[in-house]
Amino acid sequence: MNNFGVIEVAGTATKATPGWAYVPDTGPALPVALQPKNRKRAARNQPGLSLSDLTVRQENKLRKDLEALNKDNHRDVSIPIPHKTGGSRPQNKHTPNVRKILQSQKTFANHLDDYQALLALAESNPAAVVNNPLLFLNKPLTPVSAATPAKSASPAAPTPPAEKAGGSKRSAAAAKRAAAKEKEEERKRAKMAASKPEPVPPPEPLQEEDVEMVDIPPPGDKEEEKEEERAAPSYYPPDGSILPAYKKPPPAPHPGDNDPLLVSVVPSFPTDEELRALMTAPPLSYMEARASFGEEKYPTRVFCEMCGYWGRVKCMKCGVRVCGLDCLEGHREECVTRYGL
Amino acid sequence: MAPGRKPKSAGPARPSSTLILDNGADTIKAGFVTDDDSTTDKAPRIVPNCIARDRHHKTYVGSELERCKDFGEIAFRRPVEKGFIVNWEAQKEIWDRAFFDDKAPQKCDPSTTRLVLAEQPNSLPALQTHCDQIVFEEYGFSSYYRGIGPSFNAYQDIQAIFHTPRTPDTIIDVPAEVILLIDSGYSHTTVTPILQGRPLQPAIRRLDVGGKLMTNHLIRLLSVRHFDMRNETYIVNEMKEAACYVSLDFKGDLDKMWKGTRGERREDYATGGSIAKDYVLPDSHTRFHGIVRNHEPGAAARARKSAVSTEDILTLRNERFSVPELLFNPTDIGLRQPGLADLVMQSLSVLPVGLWPGLLANIVVVGGNAKFDNFIQRLQVELLERVPDECVVRVARPEDPIVSTWLGAANFAKHEHADRLAVTKQEYEEHGAAWVARKFALGLGINT
Repeated sequence: MNNFGVIEVAGTATKATPGWAYVPDTGPALPVALQPKNRKRAARNQPGLSLSDLTVRQENKLRKDLEALNKDNHRDVSIPIPHKTGGSRPQNKHTPNVRKILQSQKTFANHLDDYQALLALAESNPAAVVNNPLLFLNKPLTPVSAATPAKSASPAAPTPPAEKAGGSKRSAAAAKRAAAKEKEEERKRAKMAASKPEPVPPPEPLQEEDVEMVDIPPPGDKEEEKEEERAAPSYYPPDGSILPAYKKPPPAPHPGDNDPLLVSVVPSFPTDEELRALMTAPPLSYMEARASFGEEKYPTRVFCEMCGYWGRVKCMKCGVRVCGLDCLEGHREECVTRYGL
Repeated sequence: MAPGRKPKSAGPARPSSTLILDNGADTIKAGFVTDDDSTTDKAPRIVPNCIARDRHHKTYVGSELERCKDFGEIAFRRPVEKGFIVNWEAQKEIWDRAFFDDKAPQKCDPSTTRLVLAEQPNSLPALQTHCDQIVFEEYGFSSYYRGIGPSFNAYQDIQAIFHTPRTPDTIIDVPAEVILLIDSGYSHTTVTPILQGRPLQPAIRRLDVGGKLMTNHLIRLLSVRHFDMRNETYIVNEMKEAACYVSLDFKGDLDKMWKGTRGERREDYATGGSIAKDYVLPDSHTRFHGIVRNHEPGAAARARKSAVSTEDILTLRNERFSVPELLFNPTDIGLRQPGLADLVMQSLSVLPVGLWPGLLANIVVVGGNAKFDNFIQRLQVELLERVPDECVVRVARPEDPIVSTWLGAANFAKHEHADRLAVTKQEYEEHGAAWVARKFALGLGINT
């Protein structure tokens, strides 16, 4: 990360002020290369783009267009809360928290920036945010006991693709952080397991406030169920405590059942541990859940700006796509006046 | 139920009535569930979640919008951004008028009510905390659960949506064993695989295409091709809902709607080729809502010329299908995100392959965008191209996809899961907001 030699000094007293926020320089972030730094041959040097022919100006136009498409109103309007006519509601006093929330004029973008800044701060200076509850609200510090053995038991537990991609340093570091946390937990768990002889350790509140714990299915139940299900053919998914097995009688046998040509591939059913890990995994952050392109690449489709048909012809002045001469003429009338080219 | 669970000793008994709130960016779906079935709402009341101001500077809050007759140049202030409640000043006003005022249509006494609030997945912690604080500190609900909206859908009779043949004595699984829920709403579209009512959090994916983006895209297309509609969000939104559909053959439809090269007048273009529609705009005197008509060549031109005609007619051609096409090809407007079918595949790619058949055979689409014609058919076709041959792909939408989440949440409120997950006011006061947020984030855990 190039932040021009400026080192962020993190104090414990971070003030949330509406309207602005420290935004970490995370390199090319979400809108990749929407504002290319190197304006020279930006179109050609786009890393993620193929088959597109965007100039810097078009990129900027695209960005503005997308921003406009996400607006609620075309114009910026501010609609105040109308006065109550009846005044029927008892005006109770707000608590300080509520007053702060009601007065906040932050937009979603502000909140998102704050959150990203917080994450970046946690990465660069973990000591500064160790007591900030916001960071850990959706990443529980003390995972449910049911989840933890599962995680350690299945090394093949799927990792979120954001981490798999490992494109940005931030996500790599986040993964590292998670890994470190997990290791620590594992150590704790090992300690716990050593001290207690039961096969599955009961929920142990590592932190006082985390009272809500989830019970572990008694092992006895599972075995009983399995005995009932003996009749089911062996290729059915095994009965787990999470997803019950197929209870209905198997379909009538068919002479072609053993024909190797007709056999279909049945993927192996995930184990209980895998399922448990998935079902108790903490939520991803807002940025991680956003879908982005992975390996799949499709050619960009271009459309006529005028009529919406395929954009087969480019205006030589501004590069806008049109479908044919009719639309090109229509476009030219505006092309000059609109951009003054 | 777990045998060893300690009963809820702290606090009073479970409140008898539950307010179910699906607080969408466009509309709030609200209704009560009580112990007594006769007073339980069968369907939610739908309240616009906005403060609107028309061109005469009259302001409408929430359901007052029904009284508005002239939707020309109406401007909206929405408390929900990107699916999350951001502006509590506005949201509180709308809630107050809907639930807590003396004359509120759905009067509710928070101190004896449980609140079940649906939120979008992957929210920001700060926003979640704000929400919890307002619910307890401002309104003082006696008990509260904030859960992600998609997973509430699992508490419905999912197999009825698919019309799965079954014997009358089949036991309906609540929550459904396995579904892949696609929620395509006003702000965005999310894909959530759900197992036994528990969302598989690592596999939740979001596509930033929603109803708002599509309406705004349609506005842009119309403003270039017909009239300047940039201030007519409401009217264009109605037009989108009435006239747009998902094309099953995008290339073919686009070709049909092409006027042809210079001098050429293609027949399909001239006659409308069963795709073009005339849309009569509201004039806010006699007509308050637009009307869709079959395309009649020359009608628009005639209406424009004649002095007596009071109709403004727009001919919608490829706008009808190129707008919902954004859900399947967001790159068409330069948004670098995969389309809906690829979104589903990305979500599946995180999960073990053994789960794929179950998820693919139970895809439910909810949210307002599911109402587009051919939406589910198109999704099914696109998914079939991408998944292994052996997989059965079933895509379905509930009868009313908009209230589906609410109906699911209403069933959830009657389910024992609600008692396990809800947090009482005492617990909030005792443990604080961070504890509550963590408890909600942990969810149900595994306990079968």
